[in-house]
Amino acid sequence: MGGTAVTLTSIGVWLSIVGLAASEKAAVAVRHAVAACAQAAGAGAALSMSCGCGAPEPVFATDTLSDGLEELQATLGQGPSVEALAGNAPVLAEDLADARILARWPDLVPVALARGVAAIVAIPVSSGAARVGVLSLYRDHAERLSGDDLCLWLLYADAVLMLALDARGGLAPGAVELVGKGFTDRRAEVHQASGMISVQLGVSVTDALVALRARAFAEERPISAVAADVVARRLSFVPLETT
Amino acid sequence: MSSRDRRAWETFVRLADTLVADFDIIDFLDTLAQASVELLGVDAAAILLADCAGTLNLVAASAQQPRIAELSQLQQAEGPCLDAFHTGSAVQCPDPLTARDRWPAFASAVLDAGFTGVYALPMRLRDQVIGAMNLFSAKPGELDAEAAELGQALADVATIGILHERAFRRHEVVIEQLQHALSSRIVIEQAKGVLAERLHLPIEDAFAVLRDYARDHNLKLAAVADAVTRGALDDGLSVGSAHRERPRSRERRGLVVIRRCGVRPEYRVPDLADETVKLVDGVPEPGGRRSAGKARGRLQDQAGPEGPVNDG
Repeated sequence: MGGTAVTLTSIGVWLSIVGLAASEKAAVAVRHAVAACAQAAGAGAALSMSCGCGAPEPVFATDTLSDGLEELQATLGQGPSVEALAGNAPVLAEDLADARILARWPDLVPVALARGVAAIVAIPVSSGAARVGVLSLYRDHAERLSGDDLCLWLLYADAVLMLALDARGGLAPGAVELVGKGFTDRRAEVHQASGMISVQLGVSVTDALVALRARAFAEERPISAVAADVVARRLSFVPLETT
Repeated sequence: MSSRDRRAWETFVRLADTLVADFDIIDFLDTLAQASVELLGVDAAAILLADCAGTLNLVAASAQQPRIAELSQLQQAEGPCLDAFHTGSAVQCPDPLTARDRWPAFASAVLDAGFTGVYALPMRLRDQVIGAMNLFSAKPGELDAEAAELGQALADVATIGILHERAFRRHEVVIEQLQHALSSRIVIEQAKGVLAERLHLPIEDAFAVLRDYARDHNLKLAAVADAVTRGALDDGLSVGSAHRERPRSRERRGLVVIRRCGVRPEYRVPDLADETVKLVDGVPEPGGRRSAGKARGRLQDQAGPEGPVNDG
């Protein structure tokens, strides 16, 4: 696919995910991306997803501790995951023992500390207005995050997004496609086309992106090429019931 | 003081003036790109930021032109901005014909777009490069020393603007700020798509509708864009608003900045529908603006099956 750059870091991210799935002899799924991120971060990880409406629910965690705290955040309606979702921006609670953090989430923090979690980082799983959930990391030690760490986790969140979108579209792309795939999605046309398709189909931008990816997959074309057709109005999507 | 010096001085004052509190980063960068064109005597300017994957993304430009978007996208693989980003040094390419060996696809796209001079200025924060400012000229030739220096100063202001919103200087906060700007741009592109489809507009005209609504209501572009993607502003956006000149009153912006600072918690993009309602209801609009807005007509009236009707 010409015109796109693939960097070593993002290849490494995808290879770790694909490798994990291969070791399980399973098809690559969202949970592999979450687990690979947890391994890379040396932390527990949990993923909450929303299915368009209502509050997101915890769908996968690498361990019971992360699972419990993810559930607790959802129940209490407070915590980094809740805020990352609401604000669509990463929330870094690098040291839960900090008094300001306690004041911010008074019900959550004492429980987390008692269970041995010292830091929580929550990263939205989204591309602009296309939002599927939040990826949270639970660490047993407080440590200043480096920019490289955050960058790596953002790349994993990106991988989770793509796998989640494709799962929603009923797609099961193979390992090779996945490793080469993420990198065409950054073009402005893809975002513009998602917006246009959302109006054409009367669905959210998230579901429009699902439909766009599914179309590209079915036609075995790059997503950006299908998106360019939509933007140029050579292609428009039609809701099923009116066809 | 030469006339360029005077205009440069005025531009920096104006930009610095925007950098006071809670400002709109995308609008700021667009303004800066426009100012760069005027001050440096070039024909187009674009601001590209690197994401976590090391890919350069267009976040602002002096004009909403498909060719600028295309030239930016090519630089995900090759081009002066990618070089400036990797080396941290300015790149001058006064004649794309000579650059064909270095960047074959980019050089021919530049010529196709009608430009003959291309320049890239790195956007640096100490030892870290976060992106590059791209300048395009229809005339061949190098930027003179003075223009190159002024251009770098503008690129530095862009960097400061991106990293300013929260005045931390830790590395991961830099990443967060970059992420914020990139994510804002994505939402804006998605909203452009929604509007283009809903109002039957060419995609490049949709941006003006968003920008004018944001300026009229003292909202951030990304907030308006997000509301648009959720269908929350269906009744508020009209085609005509894109074609009217409107002065930007500093006082009016200042008023809202104060209000916003009070309501906006750390790390949160404003909740769009809520904020829209709050600000529209809460801020008195001077001089009959609101009634003018009503008279302008709404989406349904303006964009029937026949397409958009411009009243500008």
